[in-house]
Amino acid sequence: MIPPSPPPEARRDLWRQWFGTPVTALVSLISAAVALYVTWALLDWMVISALSPTQPMEDCAGSSGACWRFYLEKSRFMLFGTYPYAEHWRPALVSLLLLALSALVGLRITGRLRWLRPRMLVVLWVGVIPLAFVLMGGGAAGLAAIDMSRWNGMPVLLILSVIAIALAFPLGVALAVLRHQTRWPVLRRAAIVYIEGMRGFPMVTVLFVGVFVLPLTLPPDTRISPVMATLIALVFFHASYFAEDVRGGLQSLPDSQHEAAFSLGLSWGKTMRLVLLPQALSRSLPALVNSVIGAYKDTSLVVVLGIHDLTSTARMAFSEPGWGQFALEAYAFVGVWFLLSCAFLSWVGRELHRKQSRKSH
Amino acid sequence: MPAAHNLMSVSAAIFAVAAAPAFAGPIMDDIKANDSLVCLVSPTAPGFSVPDSTGLFQGFNADFCRMAAAAVLGDAGKADIRGVGFSDSMKTIVAGEAHMGSRSITRTGTRDADEGMAFVVTTFFDGQGFMVPKSLGVSSAAELDGASVCAEDGSTTLLNIADWFGAQGMTYRVENIADKTARLEAFFSGKCDVYASDVTALTADRQLSETPADYVILPEVISNEPLTLVTRPDQAFEAALFWGFQVMLNADSHGITSANIDTVVADLDNQSPAVQRMFGTDSATTDMAAKLGLANDWAYQIVKQVGSYGEVFDRHLGVETPFGLNRSETPNAHAENGGLMYPYPIR
Repeated sequence: MIPPSPPPEARRDLWRQWFGTPVTALVSLISAAVALYVTWALLDWMVISALSPTQPMEDCAGSSGACWRFYLEKSRFMLFGTYPYAEHWRPALVSLLLLALSALVGLRITGRLRWLRPRMLVVLWVGVIPLAFVLMGGGAAGLAAIDMSRWNGMPVLLILSVIAIALAFPLGVALAVLRHQTRWPVLRRAAIVYIEGMRGFPMVTVLFVGVFVLPLTLPPDTRISPVMATLIALVFFHASYFAEDVRGGLQSLPDSQHEAAFSLGLSWGKTMRLVLLPQALSRSLPALVNSVIGAYKDTSLVVVLGIHDLTSTARMAFSEPGWGQFALEAYAFVGVWFLLSCAFLSWVGRELHRKQSRKSH
Repeated sequence: MPAAHNLMSVSAAIFAVAAAPAFAGPIMDDIKANDSLVCLVSPTAPGFSVPDSTGLFQGFNADFCRMAAAAVLGDAGKADIRGVGFSDSMKTIVAGEAHMGSRSITRTGTRDADEGMAFVVTTFFDGQGFMVPKSLGVSSAAELDGASVCAEDGSTTLLNIADWFGAQGMTYRVENIADKTARLEAFFSGKCDVYASDVTALTADRQLSETPADYVILPEVISNEPLTLVTRPDQAFEAALFWGFQVMLNADSHGITSANIDTVVADLDNQSPAVQRMFGTDSATTDMAAKLGLANDWAYQIVKQVGSYGEVFDRHLGVETPFGLNRSETPNAHAENGGLMYPYPIR
């Protein structure tokens, strides 16, 4: 059906919204000026004063616009860092796999791709996580072994965000259930101590404990690479936040759900798995998406441990002597990446809110 | 899964060491068995080691990794150069997961006494200094009382600062940030007043600022920093490193570079006896090759693939580079020019 065209009053409404009172008029004018200025500055940097990638690097010296040639020269380095050049397909494949899987989860929880059963997603995760490590590290299936110090850039960012979040989620759910239940008071107390303790530490402290203290607890002669130690620390850290989100969902359920399940003769485990958790998880999804966005952006903090994620490889890209003037280009690359990926995550969050408000009305 | 992988590679390394015949040395044998030399450098030290667009480390320190690979494996490209932070790289070398380090490590008495480490030869003589923003209006380190200092944790830098400030009766505060780029960022954004490091590192790090001219390096040099190649004890490999470096210094004395070595070798009969002893087919270096288990032309390969000491210095740090160091004004000048680089006789 063709929607009816808006009545002519609409134009007057728009005028009133923007310039109805002197204050709105002033605010409108100021924001329009700021928007114009920012657009112009961006346009100037990206197009008007910019140098096309066909021009040699030397021309970029002293230019006020973007040097697009920089991306031609340094994109692969910023994405994959010091990973051997000829083997770049491996981190590229790992990054694509992890991104695709994250996108699938995002689309599925907003109600798209109905054919994709949650069980299939779990199987995919269980398969892809070890596959990512085998592809990156090699030493098996005819792949050359690559030391973890060469795992840089995008794949490390994704391993420490996507995989850490994927592993932290089940742990978080388990902690939430332990904290919510009353059958085993000792476990309940332990979960409370763990969650509150973990949430009481700043993330950087947890990371330092992971990298400097965790190795001391291992038997002598075993060494753990900073990437693995950080991954473990991040999993335990994020889990405590996810646990609180899920517990919020569990507590919001009316007692009648629990009682109804019991009166049907379901055991405690089945009540949890079939009745309470599915409802609690769907209620806590918006909060979980929030935590995920935070966790994802915090990943760049690992630079203090000498791990070179995307932000750090971008810095290295302009550390090469003579390249220092391209700091803006390098940071813009990282900025655009985080803008795009976080835009997707917040889109997922908005969709979830929309779905829930539809449901509750 | 990855933990298991780690364990496997550790046990594989132990097995390889145990199974190797004992005539050379454990490290030499391991390098040859893997046909690759694992060498650790700092991940971001402009001029010394920084990855290029293809992710390969380039710089003054990285070239000594290449020197070792050219000497032992005959191919500088077989150096597996990895960027690892300071304290991690020490642990990695002691644990036997890397063959050597070329990352501006100061040779000190207690470090040398550590049984897991062997310092070999000083590639760069440096000293510690202070960098401050011009806006601080300080012209001497004696005016830094009460300053906050950004410096590397676990390095000799902090100890030197403690000594020096203590001797002057001045107080200071340390901003301890492990990662170098993060630390520099903190300094450039004004989080600390003073950035302390080796003077040449300061010259290089200043280039990372968007406005290098806004920072000055104070005249005081408060320590001696002989930056030295490090490995684990292995007599043959240590000798290969030491004499590989001496080949580069001797080439420097005779004006031999990677560009002209082929013409020198083609016309060897008309060269000085010292040059003949270095590159002849039956010479001091071939004698050494037989004893150390190197290829006969190892000295030639070093100069051909890496260059002389002066060439490497000028390529990465010299006046033509953004760092603009004039070698003859540093302690790294040739001994004939009043510097500390004294070529040992190859005979």
